[in-house]
Amino acid sequence: MADSATSKGGRRAALIQRLIAEGGVLLAILGWWSVSRTMPSFVLPGPVDVLAALWKLFSEPSLMINTVATTLRVVASVALALVGGLALALVARTVPDLEWVILRRLQPLLNSFPSIGWAILAVIWFDVSNFSVLFVQVVILLPFCLINLSAGLDEIDQEVVEMGRSFTRSTWRNLTMLYLPLLMPYLIAALRISYGVCWKLALVAELFGANSGLGYVMVRAQYTANNALVLATCVAIVLLFIAGEKLIIDPLARRFAGPRD
Amino acid sequence: MTAVADSGMAPDDGDALRRAARRRKAWWANGLVVALVGTWFAVSPFVPAYILPGPMLVLQKFLLFVTTKTYFFHLTTTLFHVFGALAISLSIGAALALAAHYVRPTRLLIRGRIYPLLNSFSGIGWAVLAVIWFGQTDGAVFFAMACVLVPFIFINLHEGLESLDAELQEMGRSFTRSGLRRFRQITLPLLVPFGFAALRISFGVAWKSTLLAELFGANRGLGYVVNQSRQNYETEVILAVILWIIVIVFAGDRLFFKPAQERIQRHYGR
Repeated sequence: MADSATSKGGRRAALIQRLIAEGGVLLAILGWWSVSRTMPSFVLPGPVDVLAALWKLFSEPSLMINTVATTLRVVASVALALVGGLALALVARTVPDLEWVILRRLQPLLNSFPSIGWAILAVIWFDVSNFSVLFVQVVILLPFCLINLSAGLDEIDQEVVEMGRSFTRSTWRNLTMLYLPLLMPYLIAALRISYGVCWKLALVAELFGANSGLGYVMVRAQYTANNALVLATCVAIVLLFIAGEKLIIDPLARRFAGPRD
Repeated sequence: MTAVADSGMAPDDGDALRRAARRRKAWWANGLVVALVGTWFAVSPFVPAYILPGPMLVLQKFLLFVTTKTYFFHLTTTLFHVFGALAISLSIGAALALAAHYVRPTRLLIRGRIYPLLNSFSGIGWAVLAVIWFGQTDGAVFFAMACVLVPFIFINLHEGLESLDAELQEMGRSFTRSGLRRFRQITLPLLVPFGFAALRISFGVAWKSTLLAELFGANRGLGYVVNQSRQNYETEVILAVILWIIVIVFAGDRLFFKPAQERIQRHYGR
């Protein structure tokens, strides 16, 4: 009796939460729509205008190129940062003399360096190029990966490592069959964080350093006071981020990082 | 710094070995820094200053921020922006976290709709929108920075509230029926470590995002200086600003946040 009552109450509470959440979103969009009607579109474009601009970003070839360019750069930088972070974490772990160089000098430096600083320096050093954007993104993601992966390495049980060594002396086999599987949850966490950071960063990195990509589109839209396109690029980033997380990272996490998370 | 000796080894031996290892690590770490700065000294005369200005030039500009009035004004403006934005974001983030926790029906709206939007929306997008909506004002900078910082603060406090011990709450209920008293004397102290962690993370993020916000949204502050120097190819000023931010973030974390957090953990932690 009591059980069914609480579950009924629980279901009602859940329904109310849902109503308020979706209602709030609906209300916000309605509010946006009604305010936008009284304002010029370069100040606040209406939802329909933004939606139209968003659609163009994914359908019109000249704009779609930029969406694809940003996506590819994000994927490439996340991959590079993960590999680089793993390499640095492994070096810090296996060469004790270099531990402080990496964890106490390089990591805090990278961690406190402002992203806009990298973005400007990259253009000065490497001109406007793909490499420039990749450099900015990798160098900013690196500390996130490094922190997570070195925490993961710290957690590895020394007894298991010893066991591994007693089975084979091949470093490679130990690395692929023992270290990597044990590191998987941390790798996934590093992947998740850097993926999210990288999408938000993409606009900054492309602001000065690229002549393609969503950041470039946004800057141009800002100069021409095309505020609908500015908003659309931001929304496109949010959508691409969510899509990648739901379609790639969540399944990966379920597959490799166990049922939790 | 007292090292615990390994079992099976004479304590003095273990200590000595460990100390030697620490010395070597420190030697490598500092040696590398010295080598890098040395290389910078050696290389910079042969490269145009706008690509790699010499360390002395950067240091000179670095000091300008405390010796000349105009630069000092930009530095203090940024300081004002950072602390203002932190205060605003802390209040909004705390309000959202408390609402999501205590007003159940709003939880999904806040945790499942507002938070993901703020968290995945690009900071630069907010900065651009802020300029359009508020012009180049302090308000624009505060708005852009708050949009970036609120999700950090919210999620930390939210996790803190969620992890509060239900038994302690129950104990509190058995002592008093006043919700306010329970909140002040049980919940608030339990939340302090989470709030502080949120503040520590946000401090670093705030300093980095202030550049972005000021780049678009202000006609003063370090971000403005960076944008001017970028257009004038004064790379040494850009590096000096970056150096200031690194020094402030690093010093703030080491000298204030880390010891304070350790003290708070000891005091409030379990």
